[in-house]
Amino acid sequence: MNIDLTLAIIVTLVSASTPILLAALGELVVEKSGVLNLGVEGMMLTGAVVGFAVTFTTGNPWVGILAAAFAGVAASMIFAFLTLSLSSNQVATGLALTIFGAGFSALFGQPYTGKPIELFKSIFPAELAAHPVFKVIFGYSPLVYFSLIMVVLVWWFLQKSRAGLILRAVGESDNSAHSIGYSVIGVRYGAVAFGGAMAGIAGSCFPLILTPQWVEGLTSGRGWIALALVVFAAWKPFRLLAGAYLFGLIATMELYAKAAGGPFRILPSEVWASLPYLATILVLVLISLRRTGHTSAPACLGKPFIPST
Amino acid sequence: MQLRLEKRAEPSRTMLYVTPLLAVGLTMILGAIIFSLMGFDGLGAVREIFLTPLTNSLKWQDLAVKAAPLIIIGVGLSIGYRANVWNIGAEGQYIIGGLAATGVALATINMTGWWILPLMGLAGILGGMAYVAVPAFLRVRLKVNEILTTLMLTYVSVNILNYLVFGPWKSARSFGQPVTDRFTLDQTLPYIIPGTIVQAGAPIAIIVAIIAWFAMSKSVFGFQIRTVGTAPMAARYGGFSANQTIWLALLIGGGLAGLAGMLEVAGPFGRMVPQFPNNYGFTAIIVAFLGRLNPLGVILAGIVLAITFVGGEVAQTTIGLPNAAVGIFQAMMLFLLLASDILVRYKFKLVSPQKLERIA
Repeated sequence: MNIDLTLAIIVTLVSASTPILLAALGELVVEKSGVLNLGVEGMMLTGAVVGFAVTFTTGNPWVGILAAAFAGVAASMIFAFLTLSLSSNQVATGLALTIFGAGFSALFGQPYTGKPIELFKSIFPAELAAHPVFKVIFGYSPLVYFSLIMVVLVWWFLQKSRAGLILRAVGESDNSAHSIGYSVIGVRYGAVAFGGAMAGIAGSCFPLILTPQWVEGLTSGRGWIALALVVFAAWKPFRLLAGAYLFGLIATMELYAKAAGGPFRILPSEVWASLPYLATILVLVLISLRRTGHTSAPACLGKPFIPST
Repeated sequence: MQLRLEKRAEPSRTMLYVTPLLAVGLTMILGAIIFSLMGFDGLGAVREIFLTPLTNSLKWQDLAVKAAPLIIIGVGLSIGYRANVWNIGAEGQYIIGGLAATGVALATINMTGWWILPLMGLAGILGGMAYVAVPAFLRVRLKVNEILTTLMLTYVSVNILNYLVFGPWKSARSFGQPVTDRFTLDQTLPYIIPGTIVQAGAPIAIIVAIIAWFAMSKSVFGFQIRTVGTAPMAARYGGFSANQTIWLALLIGGGLAGLAGMLEVAGPFGRMVPQFPNNYGFTAIIVAFLGRLNPLGVILAGIVLAITFVGGEVAQTTIGLPNAAVGIFQAMMLFLLLASDILVRYKFKLVSPQKLERIA
């Protein structure tokens, strides 16, 4: 395999991994606080359609990303209010959010179908960004660098900061955190909002980095894969980075299989298309095999908070 | 005066039945407001989606046709959810069931006999069961979360459908269109009410729901499902195997979804096409919840959601409301149902300042 092809694969891989990485990072923080938000796919779709629409209307992708983040937060607040203030079933509410996000994005995106926008290209000077070799480092959209910075920030926040410690305490033992005086509900609201913002930005990656137009259901299940990745990464940000890029590699192979033909033709294209989803199942099986008995999930994950006083 | 939430001594039965109605009613009100804000004709949308299918008698047969698969899948899911087993991949099991039935139909396309349709039905049920068996096995043996596995397989099932319909099963007579051969009369469901489009799927749905209600409320099996779902420890003391329950819950859900798939492909569709998946498997999740996980409630909830589907089509032609709007109404119903769930466990109380002082 020549160097050009390798570099091209790396560039595509990184871009393909970014939305999943962003969404999964957000969900990681949410789950660390003890909340299971299955609505990631819905929030991503909301972010994708709003990000697209605002970028199309204003011509400014930065504003588009900001709008996508806000949209994600707004969507997540519906979930937060239902599960945190009204103690509704988290699994069902997350599903409802996904269905809502799908419907909302389909409706909102209708007038924008088929209209193209500009890809959100690298902000580095063209000599570096388009350089045949250095493009591997400098050729990416700002969203990619943002995602990598966020991996470090999330890790630092959770492991090294006091606020992160409180968040983890809320996720591991909500009643203890409550008796010390921390607002469990407040912390979880914040975490869910962060998850919503990240999912919204992740959604905006689709029209801004990958395919510069809006199609219904643009995210095609990546939100669900992000959920699986959080489990795969055992709730650790750097493992999440590895998992996201592994997934990006598989997704990239599908693209190259379609284009390259040759030895890839032995399998029908539908098999390649199924590969990301089958790989996700495989990944889930592998982590279940790996774990001997105890799980590293936050102890209060998915349980509504009921103060025991 | 302060409005407080006070926990009830025990969950309110009246609220259990009232909250779904409340959810639907609030959806209509909230939906009208939101859609008006978005620039559509809000009141018109609600009228066309919710009321016209009920008042226009021509639409009743559409309701029956749309409600049947929703009820069948919804019943299967409700049994599983009762046991705390979250099968989200009903859409995939529905597709595979339809494909299995199609396979039998294509293999017997040149034969005749009364046995073909039941064989297709069996194939549909077994196909759905086989497809859910993998997530079931992974859940029981390796504790892999069934939400993710069933969902991933749904995406895979769409690819399987596309492969078959664009490839080996493409009809030679279809001028290149990715569709299978049309099913023969022996392979299509009979029309139950002459002069309408209502086929055997509708009465089958009702029968399935009644059998399920009977099993869930009167049989030991139903007791097992409900106990494992609400009190797993007590269930273990009682000798109920959690693993067996998970298997049964998933197999029933998968089998019924597969049956619905067969009834759809042998009924309204009459052949397998790429447009076969129409989200019934996901809408059935809403049906199961709206029906309060009770098979009889699922019948009503299935009709309600069928109303939104039929109403959505009506609204598209009469006031130009995009079909996607229906999804928003359906999600809103689920949101509002989950939100009003709190009324089952808590009640609102007006507390006067004097009482507050006494408590403090």
